[in-house]
Amino acid sequence: MRVARWAAVAVAMVMVGLVALLATRDASRNTAAASPLISKPAPEVIAPDLDGTTIRLSQYRGRYVVLNFFASWCVPCAREHDDLQRFATRHGASGTGDAQVVAVLFDDEPAEARAFFEERGGDWPVLVDSRGKVALDFGVRGPPESFVVDPDGVVVARIVGEVTDTGLDRLIAQVEAER
Amino acid sequence: MRARAQRVSWVVLGAVFVFALVVGTAGDRAPRTETERVRAVASSVRCPTCRGLSAAESDARAAQAVRDEIRDRIRAGESDAEIRAYLVSRYGEDILLKPRASGIAALVWVLPVVAVALGLSGVAAAFRSWRRQRATGPPTDEDRALVDAALSR
Amino acid sequence: MNAVVGQGAVLLGVLTAAGGIVTLALGLRRRSGVLLDGATRYSALLLFAAVVAVVAMERALLTDDFSLQFVADNSARATPLLYKVATMWAALEGSILLWGLVLSGYIAAVTWCFRDRRRDPLFGWALLAAFAVALFFFGLMVGPANPFERVAGAMPADGPGPNPLLQNHPLMAAHPPMLYLGYVGFTVPFAFAIGALVTGRLDDAWLTATRRWTLFAWGFLATGIVLGAWWSYEVLGWGGFWAWDPVENASFLPWLTGTAYLHSVMVQERRGMLRVWNLSLLLATFSLTILGTFLTRSGVLDSVHAFTESGIGPALLGFFAVVTLVGVGLIGWRGDRLRAPGTMDSPLSREGAFLANNVLFAAFAFVVLLGTVFPLVVEAIDGDRISVGRPYFDGMTAPIGLALLFLMAVAPVLPWRKASTSLLRERLLWPARCGAASVVLAVLLGARGLQPLLGFGLGGFAAGAALRQLAIAFRRQGWRGLVGRTNGGMIAHLGLVLVAVAFTAASTYGHRSEVRLRPGESAVVAGHRVTYEGRAVRSYENRRAIEAAVRVDGGRVYRPALSTFPFATQAIGTPSVRTGVFEDVYLTLVVAPRGADDAAVIGVAVQPLVVWLWIGGLVIALGTALAAVPGQRRRLPTSPASAPVPVEEREPEPVVAS
Repeated sequence: MRVARWAAVAVAMVMVGLVALLATRDASRNTAAASPLISKPAPEVIAPDLDGTTIRLSQYRGRYVVLNFFASWCVPCAREHDDLQRFATRHGASGTGDAQVVAVLFDDEPAEARAFFEERGGDWPVLVDSRGKVALDFGVRGPPESFVVDPDGVVVARIVGEVTDTGLDRLIAQVEAER
Repeated sequence: MRARAQRVSWVVLGAVFVFALVVGTAGDRAPRTETERVRAVASSVRCPTCRGLSAAESDARAAQAVRDEIRDRIRAGESDAEIRAYLVSRYGEDILLKPRASGIAALVWVLPVVAVALGLSGVAAAFRSWRRQRATGPPTDEDRALVDAALSR
Repeated sequence: MNAVVGQGAVLLGVLTAAGGIVTLALGLRRRSGVLLDGATRYSALLLFAAVVAVVAMERALLTDDFSLQFVADNSARATPLLYKVATMWAALEGSILLWGLVLSGYIAAVTWCFRDRRRDPLFGWALLAAFAVALFFFGLMVGPANPFERVAGAMPADGPGPNPLLQNHPLMAAHPPMLYLGYVGFTVPFAFAIGALVTGRLDDAWLTATRRWTLFAWGFLATGIVLGAWWSYEVLGWGGFWAWDPVENASFLPWLTGTAYLHSVMVQERRGMLRVWNLSLLLATFSLTILGTFLTRSGVLDSVHAFTESGIGPALLGFFAVVTLVGVGLIGWRGDRLRAPGTMDSPLSREGAFLANNVLFAAFAFVVLLGTVFPLVVEAIDGDRISVGRPYFDGMTAPIGLALLFLMAVAPVLPWRKASTSLLRERLLWPARCGAASVVLAVLLGARGLQPLLGFGLGGFAAGAALRQLAIAFRRQGWRGLVGRTNGGMIAHLGLVLVAVAFTAASTYGHRSEVRLRPGESAVVAGHRVTYEGRAVRSYENRRAIEAAVRVDGGRVYRPALSTFPFATQAIGTPSVRTGVFEDVYLTLVVAPRGADDAAVIGVAVQPLVVWLWIGGLVIALGTALAAVPGQRRRLPTSPASAPVPVEEREPEPVVAS
């Protein structure tokens, strides 16, 4: 039954191919992620912070911006908060002044965000994205996600998952070197 | 007699069926309301924070944000394609639930058609070979060998 | 103590399975009857080991033994009793334990039922294959998926409880065991297929012997899938029941090939043909259960129920590769013996219809598999991420579904070997009337759209054909006319038609909107008046819920809710559904009212005929049960030939023109 034999060989090859392919897949883990926004100008962000002051992303032109989408209910966000604080202290107005952290609240209540910051510290602006427009404009899939914007307002990286202060430092150094 | 009555029945049934289908599919092209348009575009786009639901089906905040954005853009006069293009420009190609029919993604549309074509032609070939098989004359040596093998078991 | 007992039991299971394999291998090689007899003891021991392990795990769960990592990760003191029991299968390691239990149960049952044939080498090989599968699963529990792993460090005082979505509804307790009874059940016919291939005895004796086992597994799988859809509808809150989610597809794929197999074996029994098809379908069914488990457990794809990533992925993938290669290799090797002596006289025949059935189901399975796996493939090749979602699956499978409905209508009236158009004209007249009536009725009720109308028409056509067969059988045999393979099958077809029609109606003609209401305000959605009456904040033992009291059509009050669980992240919505014969009113609380007098945003979805999905599922289960009852005459297994075979259920005689 030659047909059966050939069909068997064909199926076996497809299966081996499929298995080899699946075997080389990482089980859904990624950090530095792709984004259609990379190397493009960052979308403008106009949103109120927790005190009601309107903040624009463009007002930070001339410095790096780490735009951090977070939520109080998000466990990895709590984990990365310390790293962000270290980074902010090092690069903030009191430090080298070359980078600014700006947080955007994702699917959460301002009151919860306030409590989160009171409990853990951190003094960077927290933008309230009540209609979810900012998250949509950046294509955010879920917290924590951070976008790094260079001093010219161009998006240079998107990080899905927790950030580390050393990771951010390295990233900024790399971008600086290429500028 | 009976056969003719049956034939008439079939013709009548066929006519009724076709008529009903025509009635059912005519008048389908009414202009869509805004809500319908939002729903249509949203159901072709994934809810960004969910697994597998469309932005029309999910109640998640991100899905609501997508629906709001779609509504705003419809009011601004954008076409469905333009709205989808905007969402792709922010979320990436995988925000669309239907893969585009270009590039490697086109395979997902092409392969099933190829598979069905192969299947049908395989069946047709099988019937042809069966007809040939039935048309053979006296038993061949191969046939005799098969019979011997079966009898000796 | 639980951990020690459990781990010991799992280890015992591994040793028993290995011992069984060795004993059987030796027994088969040396043709030693004594050794083959001994293998049956291993089955009993394996079952014992599995039961002890499960009892140990349940005991750990019920006594809040947080020294076990699994209990610490998945259970909580406050979890209600029923959900604590069900927590065993709420996460990865425990569900492998459930698999082990069900598999051991099946092996023990098979060993018992075939005890008179235990010296038959075919059965010996089948048991060996079954033990090999058991060795794999018990081996997983010793290695990457150990349910009895102890907590490193201090024992926690309490745990987070099962995923909130999994403790919202008692159905969580029923769905996985039923699905596993189906999934794992296919191991039995698979094992026999391996036995038949290895021994070269490829006549249909083994098929006949395992028919009821296959039917049983298929029935449970079908029920499990429908239950899963019901759970998705009643619990997940998105108002739908089928999202072409990878987990749903993983359970659906083996069902598709399994259904094709169930039909195609009839051709093998009758005419000795399609043997390669049958073996391939059976092999594919079993392989797909493993592939499905891999896809949903390894985190390779994302889904509502893909629990967490773990080392189990490579193991399952490797096992899938082994199973597929062994099966395909055996079929290729035995190709010469699989050549059928007969031919199909005409495509217009029962055999032809079953062949078309095989092709259609294979295409269906191919499309679903392709769509599920394609994003991975593209990402591996290009690095691009694409989605393949509902519009693809619906669009691609709808024509296949319609073709299958048509086949479902025509095939039962087709005789074996050859049909004439006059015969069809005669027999299909009544079903065609049903089909036309269905379309007319649908159009009169306001249904529009070519595809749904075709679906209704073909559904009516298929239902008419099934009812016609049942009527003929009833007239001839009375109530006995409703049992047996053909008649039970017709009832199952009716159930499937109900499911298909309900699926079409509910998916196409649903209305969905959100209304913002203050306490006391009403809105009208799709002909139903919903009145928001106020909110209630309730604390249960495992959650805190904000419920909105909503009165529908001035009648009962329904309470959609948003619940927060102590350790979970976001609020989980609980829908409330008013089920009606003609349509469902599905309520969700989209935005909870902040205070007692604030407005709430309530989601209202009105979908027609949803209840008929569940009724259809019950009818399928009923039909399957009836099909398992023996027919009037017990048929002895015979070797296939083109010669006529004594018939179990007689075909209705062609009516002579008067």
